[in-house]
Amino acid sequence: MPVLEVRDLRVRYNNTGPEILRGLDFSVEASDFCAVIGPSGAGKSTLIRCINRLVEPSGGSITLFGEDMLALNARDLRRMRRRIGMIFQEFNLVNRMSVMDNVLSGRLGYTGSLRSVFRLFPREDVEKALELLARVGLSDHVNKRADALSGGQRQRVGIARALMQQPDLLLLDEPTSALDPKISRDVMSLIRDLAREFDVPVLCNIHDVQLATEFCNRIIGLQDGIKKFDGPTETMQKANMEEIYAMEVL
Amino acid sequence: MSSQDMNTPRPAAPPQWTRFPFPETLIRYSALLGVLVFLAWSVHFLNLDLQRVLGAFPRLGAILADRYFPPELGFILDQRFLMSVLNTIQMSILGGAFGVLLAIPLAWFASHNVTLHRWIFYPFGRLSIMGCRAIHETIWTILFVTVIGFGMFAGVLALTMFCIGFAGKLFSDEIEAIDMKPVEALRSTGAGPLQVFVFGVLPQVKIAFVGISIYTWDVAFRAATVVGFFGGGGMGWYLQRATYELQSTRVAAILLTIIALVSISEVVSGWLRQRLAGERLA
Amino acid sequence: MAMTGTGKPSGGGATAGGGILSGEAATTYFERRRNDRMRKALIWTGVALVLLWCIQVTIIADTDWERIGGRFGVLGSIGRFLLLDFSLLPHLLVPAIETMMIATLGTILGCFLALPVAWFGARNVTPSLYIFYPIGRFMMVLSRSVHEIIWAILFVGAVGLGALPGILAVAVRSIGFISKITAEAIENIDPKPVEAIRAVGGNQFQVMYYGILPQIMPVVLGTIIFEWDINIRRAAVMGLVGAGGLGLVFFRQMAMFNYGGVTMVLLAILVLIIIGEIVSHYARKAVT
Repeated sequence: MPVLEVRDLRVRYNNTGPEILRGLDFSVEASDFCAVIGPSGAGKSTLIRCINRLVEPSGGSITLFGEDMLALNARDLRRMRRRIGMIFQEFNLVNRMSVMDNVLSGRLGYTGSLRSVFRLFPREDVEKALELLARVGLSDHVNKRADALSGGQRQRVGIARALMQQPDLLLLDEPTSALDPKISRDVMSLIRDLAREFDVPVLCNIHDVQLATEFCNRIIGLQDGIKKFDGPTETMQKANMEEIYAMEVL
Repeated sequence: MSSQDMNTPRPAAPPQWTRFPFPETLIRYSALLGVLVFLAWSVHFLNLDLQRVLGAFPRLGAILADRYFPPELGFILDQRFLMSVLNTIQMSILGGAFGVLLAIPLAWFASHNVTLHRWIFYPFGRLSIMGCRAIHETIWTILFVTVIGFGMFAGVLALTMFCIGFAGKLFSDEIEAIDMKPVEALRSTGAGPLQVFVFGVLPQVKIAFVGISIYTWDVAFRAATVVGFFGGGGMGWYLQRATYELQSTRVAAILLTIIALVSISEVVSGWLRQRLAGERLA
Repeated sequence: MAMTGTGKPSGGGATAGGGILSGEAATTYFERRRNDRMRKALIWTGVALVLLWCIQVTIIADTDWERIGGRFGVLGSIGRFLLLDFSLLPHLLVPAIETMMIATLGTILGCFLALPVAWFGARNVTPSLYIFYPIGRFMMVLSRSVHEIIWAILFVGAVGLGALPGILAVAVRSIGFISKITAEAIENIDPKPVEAIRAVGGNQFQVMYYGILPQIMPVVLGTIIFEWDINIRRAAVMGLVGAGGLGLVFFRQMAMFNYGGVTMVLLAILVLIIIGEIVSHYARKAVT
């Protein structure tokens, strides 16, 4: 049974505006590192944000871990979101908080409001955060403020925060497009290694086709809100590419 | 899926981290304790009854509803009161205009980067602006009333002092933030200090100054509503009379007028400043 | 200048290109320049007339020039203030401390009161755009448009004489500015961390506490310190209407016609303001 199943997903931001996603169908398996590629404006970011309902879909269905995402109330949605780790294009760290607190904030879904006021996270959480920070190579930066780090380091904090959630699914929204090529590759391979280590399926929206073919086992091609390709990386041909990026070629 | 385990092989020495490192935490908590002690001491020193603090707002509400309601709206249309409203506006315009005009040279003196002389004019400018700011407009009013007697003149002078302090500070902040390159260029051509100010500084701050001046008028108008309370003329005088004669419904009517006028003045000055900002971009 | 720009858009693009203007373009250019100058002259004349009218009404007509009694009369009345009354010095310490405390407690109370107002009055976090947002905005305007003296009178009426009405007046008067700046800061936050906290499953409160609060903290603290500085001078006049502190001493000295004592009080206020300025200077440096 697939981890994530999306049927006829549709999104429009306002009632009269154009549809950003126009009826998408796909599913993600437990072993997938699945890339969503497509030209800018194709709806990649919107798609990723629909999965954890940061963007509300206007139609279709999303079934995650066997539950209907769109039927959840606010409380259950939060419970669901804490099982979904998300890594963002611009890291989305709280700049004025320390690296440690940023990583710990990944546990907020499990922490009561009162505890979170005093930032009193359980001991296990702190230990886990330290381990993860060591794992992403930031042991020396634990107490620095997030905005004191370089781009690559900040994205590593973002990765640690997402893994803090002990996620059952990782959503990646262009995790490398704010980084330079060398660091992009490092970050991607770190994510791949960690995803394997923790056995988490990944749905990754990515601009760089090169990176997608290198790191992902499956590719979904998106153009103007419609799926143009879906299959294992090896089966993607030049013709598929041209179809997906037809708009940009023109 | 839920069986995943974070227990990756641990590093030899498990890393340690605590939110409360020793010296920093001690300092922080001592500071916090100090603040709390100060607060407790103040409450004790001022003989405050905390229950009364909490009860104050409901009580104020009750009193407003009870004594001040309904406002005697008919009084607003009284010829003399309307005249005093007009006078209040006039006072605020004059006080604002005089204040801004005097504040410009003082701000020039009080700006460290372009002042005439760092040891004479700079402290003079700073001190004058600070003195004007330090003394509250009501105190200025009382002082001027004792010197020149009751009436709007005292009010205008008080507002002038207030505006010097208010606008002067903002002006000099603005001047200190200018681009010094044109100033240096002018100085290198042998221009005198006044020429440097007029050709190097003023063009850079002109639009900001106009914005600040409008804002100053807005604030001066708020102050003008009460200078009359201490004999400075304008509608504040009616407020004082109504207050001391315990004509609460009339006080309510005057207060409503003040709130309405201040809101209007805020909208007007906001609109003017917005236009100005638009022009700055154009 | 604000006013001179009023007619500008009407001209069209005649000045485009700059440099050499030929024939028609040149005439339009000079015409426009002349019109501009005319308009400026007109506006300035208008301003001057308004000012003269104000001077006539408020100063020339309304002043009792006899009573002032010429230059010497004025100098004489100013001179009375210069004979400092040092015997008052020991009696100033307690009121000065009181004033400082009224300012501080008032600012702190004002912060707490400003919190919900800022929350209601910030477009992006308000609980309801149609109910709470207007309430928040109205509270901001109300707090700022009523002068602190009037607030003090109202609170003296509600809770009686003493330091308490002063604290309350200072607090209520502070709400407007603090909550306005805070609401603006909330409206201008970076939405990305907020999105991240929502994505990890944080609740509404955690989103505010982790996503918004750290971002607005420097602005809010700076504003509070700024407001505290201003509140010292406000607290110093609370006594004029019966709310304790240095204002009360000022009022008494004035009532006794002890002008030297009045000057002493003014000097004491000045000292407080200087202390406040120094403290707030360093405090603001510390928070940014």
